Amino acid sequence: MVNRLALIKELASIVPQEVLVVTSIGNNSYFWAELTDREATLFHSTLGMCTPAAFGLAMALPQRKVLALDSDGNLLLNLGVLGTIANENPTNLTVLVMDNGNYLGSHKKEPGMRTATGGKMRLQEVAKGCGIASSHLIQDVSTFREKVQTGLKTDGPHFICAQIEALDPERPPKTKHVLDPRENKYQFAKYIERTEGVQILGGGLGNFG
Amino acid sequence: MKPEKAKLVVEGLKEAGVDFTAGVPDAQFIQVYKMLEEDPDIRYVGTANEAEAAGVGYGAWFGGKQPALMLATSGLLVATYHLARINILHEVPLLIVIPYRGDIGDPRWMGLYKKTTEPGLNAMDIPYRVVSRSSDIVRTIKECNESARAWLRCIAVILNEEALW
Repeated sequence: MVNRLALIKELASIVPQEVLVVTSIGNNSYFWAELTDREATLFHSTLGMCTPAAFGLAMALPQRKVLALDSDGNLLLNLGVLGTIANENPTNLTVLVMDNGNYLGSHKKEPGMRTATGGKMRLQEVAKGCGIASSHLIQDVSTFREKVQTGLKTDGPHFICAQIEALDPERPPKTKHVLDPRENKYQFAKYIERTEGVQILGGGLGNFG
Repeated sequence: MKPEKAKLVVEGLKEAGVDFTAGVPDAQFIQVYKMLEEDPDIRYVGTANEAEAAGVGYGAWFGGKQPALMLATSGLLVATYHLARINILHEVPLLIVIPYRGDIGDPRWMGLYKKTTEPGLNAMDIPYRVVSRSSDIVRTIKECNESARAWLRCIAVILNEEALW
């Protein structure tokens, strides 16, 4: 079975700079921050918020490709979003789930406790049942590369469940200052303002502005 | 809810510049949801729960939208974890519009929400205004959204029965 680091390394090498990436809290955010140097990332989406946030972003900017880098425990908290996505049909959205079937395992040297996907639940089948026709399970790097690249080049929505090891035996070395949520908010919002010509941050000057 | 009162809520959202809404339909506010779903100027996304709606609104703000969440008092409880995170940690502005079940004068067994709605907003450090007169609906929604965007904070408008019925 493949591990998270191998897939996020691969992801960092194939995702174009202009693709908007929304990452879930924990190692998805930390690994992505260490392995990339890009402004187009919204980090630290807490339990349940990653895919909904990516979906909202995709709805607001239908001309931009948006990628949710989610995890199984995170997505499970708001699983209904898959039905919302299917019905709203954002063609620019790809949801990628790092499914380690485990709560807390990514931070420990031994597995934490299993998620529903560590038992009988299969997320790619759930996504299909919700109405997302392009739904895939991947278990190796080459299929992962193919499905992600196809997702970013073709109309979606796409759902990719990457089955990974329960633990993260390898970690990238800590070399960077990972932006905190407020720093990241300003950086990401300014990047969107600059590349999309929209106003997000208000001046707060009221009638004097 | 009288249809003309629902129109005032939608008019207030438009005056405020809101162009994106998300939520879960509520019996007390159903006319508002139906109007939003049909309105060409405001995108309405129906979600499976109100926490999901908060996440969707958060993402839409980063895409340049002016989002509002349409939440029942029960839905505010469902959305609490995400709203606390969005307001206190990320400091991202979402306008929250709530029809007030359980305010004093509500004849139904909704008193629970008197204990949870305003204290819950206070606990999440979300400022709010309670609107009791329908003539104040449009102006209050507009003012609350202006401040939310300038302060980068969530702000709530709570519309009680006197304003809506």
